[in-house]
Amino acid sequence: MNQSLPVVSSGVSAIDVDIRNVDLFYGTNHVLKGINLHIRPGEFFAFLGPSGCGKTTLLRLIAGFNQADGGEVLVGGRNVSHLPPWKRDVGMVFQSYALWPHMTVKRNVAFGLEERRVPRAEIDKRVAAALELVGLAHLADRRPSQLSGGQQQRVAVARTIAIEPKVLLLDEPLSNLDAKMRVQVRRELRDLQQRLGLTTIFVTHDQEEANTICDRIAVMNDGVVQQVGTPMELYAKPANLFVANFLGTANILPGRVVSEGGGRFFDIEGGIRLPVPADVTVPEGAKLVFRPQHATLGRSRADDIVLPGTVVHSEFLGSTLRYGVKIGAAEVSIDTPFQSGEELHQPGFAVELGLSLRSALWLAA
Amino acid sequence: MAGATTAGRAHASSRSFRHFTISASPGQLALALGIAAFLALFLVIPVGTVIYVAFTEKGTGEFTLVNFLDFARTDLFIRSFWNSVYVSAMSVVVASVFALPLAYITTRFEFRGAMLIQTLGFLPLIMPPFVGAVAMLLLFGRNGTVNLLLNDWFGFRIPFMEGLNGVIFVQAVHYFPFILINLSAALRNIDRAMEEAAQNLGSSGFRLFRRIVFPLAMPGYIAGASLVFVKVFDDLATPLLLNVKDMLAPQAYLRVTSIGIADPMGYVISVVLICMSILAMWISARAMRGKDYATVQRGGGGLSKRRMRPWESAVAYGAVLLILLLVLAPHIGLLLLSFATIWSFSPLPDAYTLSHYGRVFGESFVYVKNTLVYASIAGLIDVVLGTAIAYLVLRTKLIGREWLDWAATAALAIPGVVLGIGYLRTFYGVQLPDGTPLATLWITIVLALAIRRLPYALRACYAALQQISVSLEEAAENLGATKVRTVRRIVLPLMAGGILAGFVTSFATAAVELSATLMLVQSNADAPLAYGLYVFMQSAAGRGPGAALGVIAVLLVALCTFASHLIIEKSQQAKGAGR
Amino acid sequence: MLRHSAAAAALIGAALFTGAAFAQSGKVTVVTSFSKDVTDPFKQAFEKAHPGVTLDVQNRNTNAGVKFVEETKANNQVDVFWASAPDAFEVLKGKGLLQAYKPKAEGIPEKIGSYPINDPEGFYSGFAASGYGIMWNDRYAKANGLPEPKDWQDLAKPVYFDHVAMAAPSRSGTTHLTIETILQGEGWDKGWRILKEISGNFRQITERSFGVPEAVNSGQVGFGIVIDFFAFSSQASGFPVKFAYPTVTTIVPANVGVIANAPNKAGAEAFVDYLVSAEGQEVLLEPSIRRLPVNPAVYAKAPEGYPNPFTDPSLGARVKFDVNVSEKRTNVVDVLYDQTVTFQLDALKAATKAIHDAEAALAKKDNAEAGALVKEARDLVAAMPVTEEQAASPEIAGAFTGGKEKGARQAELEQQWAAFAKERYQQALAKAEQALKLAR
Repeated sequence: MNQSLPVVSSGVSAIDVDIRNVDLFYGTNHVLKGINLHIRPGEFFAFLGPSGCGKTTLLRLIAGFNQADGGEVLVGGRNVSHLPPWKRDVGMVFQSYALWPHMTVKRNVAFGLEERRVPRAEIDKRVAAALELVGLAHLADRRPSQLSGGQQQRVAVARTIAIEPKVLLLDEPLSNLDAKMRVQVRRELRDLQQRLGLTTIFVTHDQEEANTICDRIAVMNDGVVQQVGTPMELYAKPANLFVANFLGTANILPGRVVSEGGGRFFDIEGGIRLPVPADVTVPEGAKLVFRPQHATLGRSRADDIVLPGTVVHSEFLGSTLRYGVKIGAAEVSIDTPFQSGEELHQPGFAVELGLSLRSALWLAA
Repeated sequence: MAGATTAGRAHASSRSFRHFTISASPGQLALALGIAAFLALFLVIPVGTVIYVAFTEKGTGEFTLVNFLDFARTDLFIRSFWNSVYVSAMSVVVASVFALPLAYITTRFEFRGAMLIQTLGFLPLIMPPFVGAVAMLLLFGRNGTVNLLLNDWFGFRIPFMEGLNGVIFVQAVHYFPFILINLSAALRNIDRAMEEAAQNLGSSGFRLFRRIVFPLAMPGYIAGASLVFVKVFDDLATPLLLNVKDMLAPQAYLRVTSIGIADPMGYVISVVLICMSILAMWISARAMRGKDYATVQRGGGGLSKRRMRPWESAVAYGAVLLILLLVLAPHIGLLLLSFATIWSFSPLPDAYTLSHYGRVFGESFVYVKNTLVYASIAGLIDVVLGTAIAYLVLRTKLIGREWLDWAATAALAIPGVVLGIGYLRTFYGVQLPDGTPLATLWITIVLALAIRRLPYALRACYAALQQISVSLEEAAENLGATKVRTVRRIVLPLMAGGILAGFVTSFATAAVELSATLMLVQSNADAPLAYGLYVFMQSAAGRGPGAALGVIAVLLVALCTFASHLIIEKSQQAKGAGR
Repeated sequence: MLRHSAAAAALIGAALFTGAAFAQSGKVTVVTSFSKDVTDPFKQAFEKAHPGVTLDVQNRNTNAGVKFVEETKANNQVDVFWASAPDAFEVLKGKGLLQAYKPKAEGIPEKIGSYPINDPEGFYSGFAASGYGIMWNDRYAKANGLPEPKDWQDLAKPVYFDHVAMAAPSRSGTTHLTIETILQGEGWDKGWRILKEISGNFRQITERSFGVPEAVNSGQVGFGIVIDFFAFSSQASGFPVKFAYPTVTTIVPANVGVIANAPNKAGAEAFVDYLVSAEGQEVLLEPSIRRLPVNPAVYAKAPEGYPNPFTDPSLGARVKFDVNVSEKRTNVVDVLYDQTVTFQLDALKAATKAIHDAEAALAKKDNAEAGALVKEARDLVAAMPVTEEQAASPEIAGAFTGGKEKGARQAELEQQWAAFAKERYQQALAKAEQALKLAR
């Protein structure tokens, strides 16, 4: 896909998508709860969350397959909430690809253009361009059943972008591919999106996928947007325990804040007490959260605090060593760089953890 | 979101599947042989004993094809042949006009009373055609209700029932449920994403239906349409009742049943009928070949029902009402007739009475009981055989497995009277220990009914299995289920809707079957409803009692059908909830 | 019903008194083409007269019944065959499927009209008589302004075009007899001419005898050529229909015969005896049956106006019906009618209509040339592919019976005859149209 490509959507300037106060019920089940999101023009945006968090429901709502019970969706400033799917100009790539088995690849891709009464000659040109773009020009006359999974996925993408949608919606487009294909295709998708400058929304439950290709991510859980931000922001500054836990590995130490003698302390369950820095605000019911690489075995920096613990398991991961350490009642993961000649501590070994409170967070659920 | 299986995988695996079961297991082989034996014993041999006459020379009894030459040289037969083709094709067209809107509206929209409509739409099938034609004449005939009124008010008549028109009209009304049932099942099984993808690309309304939904439902439509074609091609009762004789099946019947005449042409025509039916089925199979429509990914319907806008609702209800009124006309006519004192050259009966019901009430019980027993057993035999044959054909590589399909399907083309005579010839000589001939037992009627209705159940089972992605079975096998367990735990539950539809079709149509029954009924105590109807209708003293019995028959079968629909609907919902 | 039970009670008494009740028991299986209207009263009366005996009635149309008896002869379970059409009994007799039995009843004459009541060889017996005639729907006739027909020839008049129905003689034994009666009464050529002139007015030719009264009752067709009891029982149940016996009609018996190797021979014979006994004959007077008893004495108990062929000279007296002539050419006549009329009805009607139109025009303005053309057209319509002698010849008759000798095949003859008729109807149509142009 790296050859010089015909430009499919020349002259289409990227537009934004605005989701305002969207509520949706399935019967009595509140599936989307007051969603507010703004997706910027040309952005590659992800809805990330576990199964049942509402991310696909929200995507389908943008496409017009679900009707909101409250709120509105604006595409390029135009309220599309009451438009049927076929008038929305938002292209969607389905999880199952939904390629029509009774049509050839070419006919599949031409479909949307035919529906738009585009002249035949132009349809041929644009179908050829779209297939060229995904590198499948040579398979135009095949039937979907004669293609591999990756090829089908690319046909699905070509079919969608052929109509030059204002927004591209991708519903877990990589979930049906094997791991190697997944990495390749996601790069292709990103590449394509960049080249077309197309506002794209991507639904996934895989944080790695979201992190690698998306500009910004909305993390969703239980019908609520938990946090919106770039992958790095979300990793470094998760807004709550859910986000911290969902993106990357997070060590969570439950405990409670106590004020004593003018100072604030965090009592970890199991009888360990930490000082809470004065400039940190600790929300009600918060827990102490830190990433595995933010602690060391033994004190390494002067302002580190020290937590006594016991190794419960250990793994050699090549560049790093990963230890499971029991602290009080909780267990945490610690990554340390591997140096040649170093010995792996065995379970039962008593250690001291050095933790920089600067990189630690107190987060509530 | 739980649906992890994909079109891609389904297609990929259906390719690999070809390498997957090259040879058949002993169990499959035994199953195939068992079915073959059943079909040979109860279909091929009895029919063979009758139609071999077509290949014998007059006088000498030697083998000859000259009778077929005579067929081709006789204007009447050639005219009959083309009339049959024309009537069958037009019946498919008209039946489609009835069935398409009903199937689409009830399966693709939130439509109040969808289930009721599906059931009502099924009703025409459960009226014996000879009864339906009587009612249609009363309503649409030259001096039927509609034309009498038209003539009074506007001074013209519409030739609904004149000549071939009448046959097409009655047949379309009678057999359109085949298309409705199969098409509805196919529509229910289309993956919602297929439709949504098209909407997303800007397609909607009728174009969406024509370009995406209908092609995807094609296997179901073709299955239904080919059934209609073949049934109309082979039906003799309706044309004869409407006094249309220059069609093939009536010609065969007239000749086979002419007394004192030993003419091979009746059997020659039977052979032609059988060949044409197989040809029609083969063409439909051919048309569908290579189209992998395993679009079901969740092992159930991916149906999305849309809410209609007010004007859409108005149009939809209007269309549905009009169609229902047309296709239920025979029932309305029959109901009127059953309460009528005298109905003669008038738009409506002169007066109404309940006495006809009183007359048949006592006698109908034995008919009702027999009908329920016979039709249930026949339907059961049919779905068991149908499922087994569909499985063997679609899921194994057994050599010659298509022959089972063709043989079973050919039963469609065997005129009931030929089958009846064949049974008498084959089984009358076979005696039970106490000396009664095998053919006099009521089980013979059941077997004849089962054979006659097997093609219906087979097509329904076939379509149901065709739409199940092989990957679902492979998944089960992969998780350690044997072939038998996979069939029992995965295939059968997924096919349940189709199997039940097949059972209902077989049951309901067997309940009103007459032509083979008439030959085989040995005593009034063993007679089913259709026979009773026939007996009651043969009276110049008025057809009121016959009509009353007809109403009872229709109500009875309708109740059973409605119950089955409830079950189908429930199982669909159960599957839907798992999504 | 009340009337019926009274009659039945009387019958029981009579049966006991005459000691006619033998010690039969068990089941008597009867295959019949008669409707329930006929069989139910007889079943009840017979079972009362012979306690312990059950009459098991199997209703099949005549053709299917004959086939059934034939196909199951190897292990016969049927005792009695009971139907109208004498030719069905001839077939059964010819195949050796009947056994001779002479009923014990007395007072039954040899003939009814000109038709012998019983088979001379005693294989089957007549138990009731019926005559053919014309039945019409009064409302229909009035609405269309059609006069009441009196004779067969009336039905050939142009006013009745497209208003008449009849059962195919090949499908209805009694219709066949009507055809044969006309052919014998009027002669082969004139007979066919009349038949075709009437047939040219047909709206439909039904496959079952019953189809005709059905069509007339419901008003789909105005006029039907039917057997009398259809009209009587229709009238009895209130349909607005009328009936007339034409001058040339034959009164034919409905028959009963004992099947060869009947499992319950004694029971079968008892049933035959019962049918022709005075008690059994009275059952025929039931309004739903309304057939003519073969025992002249029973008419004394009939309601007023009941036709009596033994005293009414107009019923069948004019025709001399020769059973032997009829029997030799049964199949040929049926197939001739089917091939030249039934399956060519559209062509025949087109020619007939054109002739009617031309004649109507000629009636207003005579034209000799046109008159000659119409006559030619009429002759073309009337023309038959075979003569009376050929029809009875073994060569042609053999083609239909599957004889052992290699001869003409039925299909070949049929095609020849059909082509013959079709061609002439087309010529007739052309000539009549030409005449119409000239007459204008």
